[in-house]
Amino acid sequence: MNIWQRMSSIDRHYVYLLVAATVIFPLIVPAHFPIGISPEARQLYEAVDSLPEGSVVLLTFDMYANNLAETEPIARAALYHLFRKNLKVVTVTTIPFGGPSIAERITRELAAKYHKTYGVDYVNLGYKPNYVSVLKGMGSSIESIYPTDNSSTPLAQLPLMQTVKNYADMKFIYVVADNGIVDYWISIVQAQYGIRVGCGVTSVMAPKLYAYVGSGQMTGLLGGMKGAAEYELLVGKEGLAVTGMGIQSLVHLLIIALIFIGNLGFFMEKRRAARAKS
Amino acid sequence: MKRTVPLILAFISGIVMVIAFFCREGSLAENLSQEFLIWSSIIGGFSLLLGCASIVRVQWKHVSQQKSGWGFSVVTLAAVLISGLPGVFAVSWSPLFGRGTGSIYDWIFVYISTPMSGTMFGILAFYIASAAYRAFRARSAEATLLLITASLVMLWRIPMGEAFLGTISSHLVDFVNTYIMLGINLAVQRGIIIGAALGAASMSLRILLGIERTYMGRG
Amino acid sequence: MSGMELFQIWIMAFFTLAIFSFLYKDNPIYRFAEHLYAGVSVGYYIGLYWDTVIVQQLWVPLTQSKVPEYWLAVPGIMGVLMFSRLSSKYSWMARIGLAFIMGNTAGVFLLSQLHGNVIGQMQGTMSPQMANGSPNAALTAIVVLGVIATLIYFYFSKEHTGALGVTAKVGIWFIMISFGAHFGYTVMGRISLLIGRVYFLYTDWIGSFSQIF
Repeated sequence: MNIWQRMSSIDRHYVYLLVAATVIFPLIVPAHFPIGISPEARQLYEAVDSLPEGSVVLLTFDMYANNLAETEPIARAALYHLFRKNLKVVTVTTIPFGGPSIAERITRELAAKYHKTYGVDYVNLGYKPNYVSVLKGMGSSIESIYPTDNSSTPLAQLPLMQTVKNYADMKFIYVVADNGIVDYWISIVQAQYGIRVGCGVTSVMAPKLYAYVGSGQMTGLLGGMKGAAEYELLVGKEGLAVTGMGIQSLVHLLIIALIFIGNLGFFMEKRRAARAKS
Repeated sequence: MKRTVPLILAFISGIVMVIAFFCREGSLAENLSQEFLIWSSIIGGFSLLLGCASIVRVQWKHVSQQKSGWGFSVVTLAAVLISGLPGVFAVSWSPLFGRGTGSIYDWIFVYISTPMSGTMFGILAFYIASAAYRAFRARSAEATLLLITASLVMLWRIPMGEAFLGTISSHLVDFVNTYIMLGINLAVQRGIIIGAALGAASMSLRILLGIERTYMGRG
Repeated sequence: MSGMELFQIWIMAFFTLAIFSFLYKDNPIYRFAEHLYAGVSVGYYIGLYWDTVIVQQLWVPLTQSKVPEYWLAVPGIMGVLMFSRLSSKYSWMARIGLAFIMGNTAGVFLLSQLHGNVIGQMQGTMSPQMANGSPNAALTAIVVLGVIATLIYFYFSKEHTGALGVTAKVGIWFIMISFGAHFGYTVMGRISLLIGRVYFLYTDWIGSFSQIF
C-alpha cells in the first residue's frame, strides 16, 4: 500500500480516537473565541424582549431526550429570558417520550431560582396525543384539549389559565423542538391564527426553517448549539452552549481536515494509477 | 361493510374539519370539529398503547419460545414493568408513584433513559466523522460543490471559523448567511416545502374521498 | 455531594459508557443497556398514556365532572377496538378508530398545508428579499430562480429536455449547495450531542472521583 492509499484508508477506530481526543482536549485546555450573533437570533431575542410585562408566551418542549445537548441550553436561555421579563409562561409538549418530564424538570428548577409561582407565573400543561388535535384544538379552547395540567390539577384551579383560553390570549409562541413539528406550528397555528412564532431547533432542523424566516412566517431562529450560544450571550447567561462552542470549533476543523486528507489521498492515487496505466 | 363504514367515518371526520375552517367560532361546525379533535386525541393515545402491547407481545414470544438472546428479552419485559407500573399507580398511594418529580417513574427516565438516549445519538458523531472521511469524495462537479459548501458552512458555524473567514474578507461571514443560507438554501428548501405541501394536500384529499385506502390494511 | 447524588452520577456514567462500548464492537453490556432502554421507553409510554388519556381524558370527564360527558364513551370504545389489531380474526375492527384519526388529520392538513405552506411560501417568494433591513435585488432574483428551478427539478411527469432540462440542471446546482449547507449543519448537530455526553463524563463523573477516592 503506498502513502496515498494509506492516507485514504485509515482504520475507523483511529478516526474515533481522534474525534474523542479532539472533544476531550478543549475541556482540559479551554479556548474561547468571540461568538458572532446571527441576525435571526437577534430577531428572536428582540421579539421576546419587546413583549410587554405580563404577556403570555407559549413555550414548547417539543424535544426528545436524545437531543438535550442542543435543545436544553435553548430552553433554559429562553425560560430565563421569559422569567426575567416577567412574562407569563405556559408550556406544552407534543413529544410523548420525555417531553413532559423535561418540561417539568427545567421549569421547576428555573422557577425556584427566579421565585416564580406555579399556577400564577407559569403552568405546565404537559402532553396530549395526536399533535394535530393539540395544535388545532388550542386555537379554540385550551381547556377542551387539556382539562388538567401535567400534574392532574384542573385548569379551573390555576389562576393563570383563567385569563388564557386560546391562542388569542397569547402574544408569542416560542417553539423549542428537535423534529418536524415546527412545520405544523407554522402551517396550522401561525397561518390560521396569526400569532408570532419563534423557534430554537437542533442543527439538523435549522436549514429548512430559513424558508419560514425569509417569508416572515417565523420570527427568529436559533440553530443548534451555536444558536443556543448566541441566545445565552444575548440574555447574559452563559452556559453549556457557550462552553461547547470551543470544543465544536476543534472538531469541525478535524472533520474538514479528514475530508481534505481523504480526498487528497483519493485524487493522488487516481493520478498515480492513471500514470501507471499510460 | 368492513371497509365502507371506516371510509364513511374518515370522510365525515375530515369534511367537518374542512367546513369548520371557514366557519366562525361558536358555530355548529366549529364546535363539532373541536369535539372531533378531542376524540382524535383519545383514540391516538390508544393507538400508541397498542404499540406498547405489540412490543411486549413480541418480547414475550422470544422468552416463551426461548429464542436466541431471550435473556435480553427478559430484561426488556422487567424494565417495562418496573418503569411503567409506578407511573400507573396513583400518587395518593405513595409519593414514589405517579409521574411527578421524585417518583420512581421520573427517576428511571432521568437517570437511566436520558443518558442512554443522549449517548445513542452522541455516537453518531463518530460515525459521521468516519463517513465524511471515507465516503465524501469530490467525484463530480456537483459533489465538489456540495463538499465546498459543507466545509464553508462548517467553518462559518464555529467562532474560530468566523474569525478565520473574517480575516479573508470582512463581508464573507455576512455573505454566507445572506446569499447561501437566506438565498440559495432558502430557495431550495422553499421549493421542497411547496412540493411536499402539495403532495400532502393531495394525499389528504385522496384519504377524504376514499381513494387512498392503504392505511386500512388488507381484508 | 450526597451518597444518592454520587450513585445517580455513577448510574448515568455506567449507561453512557455501556452505549459508547458499541464503538469498539457489539458486546453483552451494550445489548443489556439497549434492551433495558427499549423496556424503559415502553414503560414510560404506558405510564404517560394511562395518566394523560385514560385517566385525564376519559375517566375523569366520564365519572367526576359536574355534567358527565357520556359521549366520550364513543372515542373510548373506538380506542379499545384498536387492540383488536392483535387478533388476526378481528383486526378489521381497528379500522374504525384508525379511519377516524386519518380522516380528521387529512381534513386539517388539506387546508393547513395549502394555506400555511403553499400560499405562505409563494407569498414569500413573490415579495422582495431583505438583506440588512433593505430590499436586495440580487437576493430576490436568486430566491425566485432557485424556487422555480428546484420545483422543476423535482417535476418528473415530463422528460427534462430543452428549457425544462436547462432549468432542472440549474436546480441541481442550487440543490447541491443547499444539501452541502445541510450536511455542515448535520455534522454540527451530531458533534453537539457528543459534546453533551463527554461534558457530563468529564465534569460530573470524573469530578465525582475526588469525592470518592
